[in-house]
Amino acid sequence: MYDTIIIGAGIAGLTAAMYASRKKMKYEIISSDFGGQFMVSGEVLNYPGIVKTTGVEFSMKMEEQMKFNNVNFKTETVKEIKKEGDNFRVITDKTEYETGTIIIATGARARKINVPGEDRLANKGVTYCSICDGPLFGGKAVAVIGGGDSALEAVDFLKDIVSKIYMIVRGDSFTGHEYLIERAKNNPKIDVLFNSETTEILGDKFVEEIKYKQGDEEKDLTVQGIIIEIGRVPNTETFKDFVKIDDHNHIAIDCTTATSVPGIFAAGDCASAHEYQYIIAAGQGCMALIKAARYLAHKKN
Amino acid sequence: MANIKVYSTPTCPWCIKLKAWLKEKGVEFDNIDVSADQEAAKNMIEKSGQMGVPQTEINGKMIVGFNTDAIEAELKSMGKD
Repeated sequence: MYDTIIIGAGIAGLTAAMYASRKKMKYEIISSDFGGQFMVSGEVLNYPGIVKTTGVEFSMKMEEQMKFNNVNFKTETVKEIKKEGDNFRVITDKTEYETGTIIIATGARARKINVPGEDRLANKGVTYCSICDGPLFGGKAVAVIGGGDSALEAVDFLKDIVSKIYMIVRGDSFTGHEYLIERAKNNPKIDVLFNSETTEILGDKFVEEIKYKQGDEEKDLTVQGIIIEIGRVPNTETFKDFVKIDDHNHIAIDCTTATSVPGIFAAGDCASAHEYQYIIAAGQGCMALIKAARYLAHKKN
Repeated sequence: MANIKVYSTPTCPWCIKLKAWLKEKGVEFDNIDVSADQEAAKNMIEKSGQMGVPQTEINGKMIVGFNTDAIEAELKSMGKD
């Protein structure tokens, strides 16, 4: 019987695992991959105690920190969780675990725009990771879709690589941090198209053209790359029949990270705080583990 | 010697992970930085039809992404694992 099973190895899950290890709890951390979304972030300039880092540097540090704390994660995919009396059963693609508590920290994944051509031309000019594939668009014209932090970060990264950037923004203004907005506004290479919605991506073998609607007008642009940064979808499908999910498909938690099911906690981007920040994920991961430990202690008494 | 090429960019996190994974396994490879070498980038895209990195060329096959299972299978077939 485990004290806790942590599902997900992004910042929230890893923080929980580090605390579990230091508390000498019997636990496992299970994830289909290591690192979560922070693997693909560019610059990080707002983490307390760290002046400036990148997603990769951060992930390498996290790996080192996990080794230091004897955290070893299991590469498995969780298929189902079940209640068994006072405890739970976690069923993965490889095995099963009995546990007193569960911490769900499955994060989120890139949201698709769901237009014709998007899936067919994925990895053929359509990408969701600007820092991975951006350098392949050297000297080319690209469209960045979105108006939030991720889109602005993508633009900031691409501006010295590509020849032209069209930002296709659905709303009438940006929603990201001021410093990123300033950088985008002051660059003649960048054209911002507000009130614009992408309708189709065209191309034979690779991306050649993007169609969009600005107000009632149908327009198109010749581009070789399309970077989609329109937010995230929480990875909560596996748990939707088990814990309460909010209107935006996040796992509903209270301020102590407790879900609707006593003994199950959720932390980070999969949970209902709706603010996607490293430091929030770390804080919630820590909170979830401590609350899980308290829950077990109460149960024993 | 195994002729393995890793097409990558310096900023791509999965490229860095992939190269670290190969090194840990003691697998020798040539790293090709497709952000600096446009000709190599074109070559990679033509060979695989895919515009993403990392890509690993092994036994004449192009493996896209941090797909360690597929790379391991190829290494095995070469008697390298």
